[in-house]
Amino acid sequence: MANIGIDLGTTNSLVAILVDGKPRCLLGDDGAAMLPSAVRYAPEGGVTVGAEARAEAPRYPGRTFTSVKRFMGRAPADCAADAQLFRYEMDTSEDRFVRFNVRADSGAPFRAVTPTEVSAEILKALKHRAVECMFGEPGGAVITVPAYFDDAQRQATKDAARLAGLEVLRLLNEPTAAAIAYGLNRRERGVFAVYDLGGGTFDISILELNDGVFQVMSTAGDTHLGGDDFDRAVAALLIARAGGPALSDAGWRDIIQSAEAARRALSAAETVTVALPADLGTQALSRADVEAAILPVLERTGASCRQAISDAGLKADQIEAVVLVGGTTRTPLVRRYVEDLFGRAPFCDLNPDEVVAIGASIQAELLSSSSTFSEDLLLLDVIPLSLGLEVMGGVVEKFIPRCSTIPISKSETFTTHVDDQTAIDLHIVQGDRELARDNRSLARFALRGLPPLPAGIPRIKVEFLVDADGLLKVSAREEYTGIAAQVDVKPSYGLTEDEIEQMLESSIDNAEEDVSVRMLIEARVEGEGILSALGKAMRDRELLEPGEGERIDAVAAQLETAMAGEVYKTIQDLSKLLDQVSAPFAQRRIERDLTRALSGQSAASVADHLASRRAVESDVESDHV
Amino acid sequence: MYSASAATACWRCQERVGGPVCVGCAALQPAPTAPDFYALLGVARRYHLDLEAVDAKYRALARQLHPDRYVKKSAQERQSALLWTAHLNEARRVLRDPIRRARYLATGRPDMPESGGPRLDPAFLEEIMEWREEAEGDPEAVRGKASACAAELEAELEAVLTAWEEGRGGLEVVGDRLARLRYVQGMR
Repeated sequence: MANIGIDLGTTNSLVAILVDGKPRCLLGDDGAAMLPSAVRYAPEGGVTVGAEARAEAPRYPGRTFTSVKRFMGRAPADCAADAQLFRYEMDTSEDRFVRFNVRADSGAPFRAVTPTEVSAEILKALKHRAVECMFGEPGGAVITVPAYFDDAQRQATKDAARLAGLEVLRLLNEPTAAAIAYGLNRRERGVFAVYDLGGGTFDISILELNDGVFQVMSTAGDTHLGGDDFDRAVAALLIARAGGPALSDAGWRDIIQSAEAARRALSAAETVTVALPADLGTQALSRADVEAAILPVLERTGASCRQAISDAGLKADQIEAVVLVGGTTRTPLVRRYVEDLFGRAPFCDLNPDEVVAIGASIQAELLSSSSTFSEDLLLLDVIPLSLGLEVMGGVVEKFIPRCSTIPISKSETFTTHVDDQTAIDLHIVQGDRELARDNRSLARFALRGLPPLPAGIPRIKVEFLVDADGLLKVSAREEYTGIAAQVDVKPSYGLTEDEIEQMLESSIDNAEEDVSVRMLIEARVEGEGILSALGKAMRDRELLEPGEGERIDAVAAQLETAMAGEVYKTIQDLSKLLDQVSAPFAQRRIERDLTRALSGQSAASVADHLASRRAVESDVESDHV
Repeated sequence: MYSASAATACWRCQERVGGPVCVGCAALQPAPTAPDFYALLGVARRYHLDLEAVDAKYRALARQLHPDRYVKKSAQERQSALLWTAHLNEARRVLRDPIRRARYLATGRPDMPESGGPRLDPAFLEEIMEWREEAEGDPEAVRGKASACAAELEAELEAVLTAWEEGRGGLEVVGDRLARLRYVQGMR
């Protein structure tokens, strides 16, 4: 089956496929391509994803999650402030990965979820769209991630896909996807910048194209900067102007929504009137007001841009095209700011919300063996952060520098410090600071099963391999004996293999629950159909044999009772029984209709009877399916 | 041309192959553990290189060997593609950089180890101490000396490497001069 491209966004997510060689974002039931990245959990076990969950978030704050991408693969300590901002309650018993407590509306906790599981629900919903559209399972998926995502964040994304039952062909950097969507790959050569300001992340990437090889030269950004920050800045302005009232959770959410609506409206209008929640009245807001409020946030993107340009060894005027990505780039001030920064007007012809998903779907097609696309395009990515090893004194020895083209491998040789030592622990960090504690811990690799030799004799060659998705793998071998060490990975932040397995198992349990819920709904629909058709037919009571009507009514009453219950099997059985007991009666009605037709009854009346007969028949048929 | 896999039998069809991809059945061959970067990129073993040509060779090979080209192939070939491309990326990184390239030619290692590297000549260190004394605490004067010394070292390296290319000498001093160069560059 066809491969799909997925933009798993902080605020919205999309899925796209190629239809007759043209990329198309798939629409949801509501007709929108964008699926809000919002997930609500029901205490009885159901999950609601998308627009409904987003719209009703204020009503169900304890069990609705938005912007979970901000928490993917991060340490609880690093995003406590975020959790507070979004009013999420972190499970404090876990310090290795983020887990939120989910509370019923009464306040009672009923489960805990990781951002990985929440993202998996979003991916499942997107996969469902693809299945409906393509009438079958998708082949594999290209999922985009911010170029700045570190190893743990990329791994968490891959884990989420696994939980959603998606085969990941490639994690693709969002800006690279955007450049592909704009067809920049069709040029012969060039240097491009992709400025991606989404709801929650900012990325700037410098890409170089040469003879069909597309390469990320450098990337910088902030996993923590986006339109949400604009909205908060505008909300803060509104609150300050209203005299700085203390706000409830609901009041804060409402004012953020008002700020967002006002900001969007001001992309086109010069002034808007904002109705504030509660009794705070209305305020007139001009584009200039909003621009003054968001400029400090916007300026934070400038520093990253200058960093990326200098990392690429370039000057701003050497960049030949600038592409805008992300809904936030619709803001006129953003476009002016980018134009000033690069000295040229940015590309913004494509829908900035869909650009990334479109590029992902093109890459997904390129990765399928049946691709009719140019075989000449190759995407090369770089690793966004240096990888290093903690050595004596907590100092970092970098072994893979930032912006190295991936995949890349490095080997280092270690020895032992004590006789018969059979294990070595390696602490890998990512970042560019001198001391391990100032960088982000990636994982601890425990090498076990080394041959016992005198201290200093073993030559343990450790191979660090960063794959095309930017994920690190480690293998080790003692060179004299050729004995491979067993490598146990303890990710510093994120889920271990065992934890993912457990989640997979429990999601299979949930899938069974999902199946029985669906069966119940189907059985009820079927029962209703039979009852309604029978109700009409029973008006012909003169055709009933003595006692037959009572029997049919009794079974119908039982079916109605069963339909109010939760056991789909009972509903199915009673539907079948009702069909059986009413079958002779239905037969007599058909015979009578035919007799009437032959004896000159009006054609319309016959047609009417035949229609109601068909309704009963089709119910009988569906029962046997 | 590929020293590490020169004329071995293809793992799948037993054809004799010299490159990463079997000419008989197009199967990707296992990647060598430590390939020679010049041989890998198919570039003559010289210090002075046409970097455009290095990049062109790199791109042609990357297009052929990148894991994205083996998404639907066996796990073995996918792993080989990953390793081949990792080597290619490293080879280009080394050959594009004049310092790494020089060190690689001279010592077989592209990067100076962060610890346990070559020890600087005590006489050289003494010379630097003398500059500092002469400068009498003027940081500009020290920087000036360091720049001049770096330029001298670069010229010496250029001469040594050129002579080696012309078959008039070895590369024995290169490792030491590169270590000195790094030291004085750190002072600027």
